[in-house]
Amino acid sequence: MGELKNIIQVQDFSFAYEERLVLKNITLELKPSCFHVILGQNGSGKSTLLRSMAGMLPVQKQKIFIASHDITEMPLKTRAKTFGLLSQKHKAVFPFSVEDVVMTGRAAFISFVPKEKDRLIVHQTLEKTGILHLKDRCYTELSGGEQQLAMIARVLAQQAPLLFLDEPTTHLDFYNQEKVLSLIKNLTQEGLSVVAVLHDPSMAFLFGDHFIFLKNGRLVNVPEGKMPWDADFLENIYEMKLEAIPHAKRALIVPSNSGK
Amino acid sequence: MKKAGNIRILIYTAAFPVLLLSLLIGPSENISLHDGVQWLLNMISGNDTDTFIQTIILQVRLPRVLTAFLVGGALSISGNSLQAIFRNPLVSPYILGLSNGAAFGAALALATGLLPLQLSAFIFGLIAVIISYLAARKHKEVSIVSLILSGIIVTGIFTALLTIVQFLSDPFKLQSIVHWTMGNLQNSGWQSLTSMLIPLFAGVILLLSMRWKMNVYALGDEEAKTSGLNPEWGKILILIAASLASSSAVAVAGVIGLYGLIVPHIVRMLSGPDNLHSTPLNFVFGGTFLLIIDDFSRTISSFEIPIGVITMLLGAPFFLFLMKKNKIGWEN
Repeated sequence: MGELKNIIQVQDFSFAYEERLVLKNITLELKPSCFHVILGQNGSGKSTLLRSMAGMLPVQKQKIFIASHDITEMPLKTRAKTFGLLSQKHKAVFPFSVEDVVMTGRAAFISFVPKEKDRLIVHQTLEKTGILHLKDRCYTELSGGEQQLAMIARVLAQQAPLLFLDEPTTHLDFYNQEKVLSLIKNLTQEGLSVVAVLHDPSMAFLFGDHFIFLKNGRLVNVPEGKMPWDADFLENIYEMKLEAIPHAKRALIVPSNSGK
Repeated sequence: MKKAGNIRILIYTAAFPVLLLSLLIGPSENISLHDGVQWLLNMISGNDTDTFIQTIILQVRLPRVLTAFLVGGALSISGNSLQAIFRNPLVSPYILGLSNGAAFGAALALATGLLPLQLSAFIFGLIAVIISYLAARKHKEVSIVSLILSGIIVTGIFTALLTIVQFLSDPFKLQSIVHWTMGNLQNSGWQSLTSMLIPLFAGVILLLSMRWKMNVYALGDEEAKTSGLNPEWGKILILIAASLASSSAVAVAGVIGLYGLIVPHIVRMLSGPDNLHSTPLNFVFGGTFLLIIDDFSRTISSFEIPIGVITMLLGAPFFLFLMKKNKIGWEN
């Protein structure tokens, strides 16, 4: 995948839920081995865009290309080998062990039962995500942060070169947010491509490489001469007063009205 | 994890001695346990054996013991698989209406002879479980409680239809239908045993081949899809396999209520929820356990209590306990 210019191409893509148009004429090109972050208000179409690119929504032909293949023409197994999706909060019913949950990420490679190679990959993935010590614990008994790390390990066990993450930090405390995001950052430095929906622009600017802004279903480009973390640009995106506090060549974003 | 491994080995190795012992005990006053052991020793050493005892053991007890084992195994492995694909720890062939659908199909075949018994049981069992599922489905989601409720309704419909069949049957057939619907192994013989072998093993083998994938489906549709499995097709295949196995059991033994609910829970407690291990374990443990229950029902009193009555009385409090433990609300 290294020679690909763009890992994702979206061409004039619109999407409607029943009659309501949620995404309007989106055109995008995303580079490989980057941490792309989708930002915008609730209801701006972030999750819809992410889930369309991950093939979870009915998409027309010739609109979305993953690694130069039309998503509509990719069989499920090929998709699973090309990209993984971490959905929003997963609800578990059975008390599977963490190892069993992570193993399910290998489904595209397993015809009947897991082989030694799959066990090895699961072991390495657990090590990489730092939860090897939880391998025999029940998934249902883990804390929210540990559960999220386990689900990330599950997607990583797919060994796909591209990951879609739908709000990977939403239910996590401060400590676990940092843990998850720096893990993702490290993975992109190793060559993985990641597209994530995040709510907190500060966290996005701390960890992300490239930023995609949506407003009312439309893509908003950063104007010439502006930076994504410029306060006046973000005020337009989030429709609120905010301040950009310079930090590490970028900025931390806080609401202007805070503490007053 | 090592402990679970030991329990598994214990369950697998216990099956054979239980099968053997079940052959040697029974209500027949003419054959004591001592006679049975004597017969067995003679058989092994190649000496002449008592033909009367031999007939009882080979023509009466052996088919019954095997039937009890296979019926118990089939209901348990199906119950476990249905719980996995519906992501619902409270379902079983009985709860989903599958058993009563199959019972209606079998009774219809007995009364009218329109379709072969096993085929008719399978078709109506599958129809029943599909209706339960579709009725409970709302916005592409199926809640734990609504699936149980629709199962109750479907069970009610097929019970009513079964009553109509009973009304229209002549008195001789009626008695055998009524007796059999209560869940009964009393009439099992070589003929009924062989009639269920092919559909039962077809279902069981299919379920065994898909046992690991059940873990993926149990995690959720979206999780299955993103990791490369089509949840709709997989579930339909497992549903057909579970219907084959459990409806063939129902066609022979009638409705053995709640058995397919209890065993998967016991197995999960003993060996964990991983379907890779628990699927074959359900078959063997479910078979052995029903055999033990049947041994009691054969020997405990002079008349035989239908086995379906016993499993119902054991299963009902267990079901209520699970409902409390799982804190099932109306919304999830």
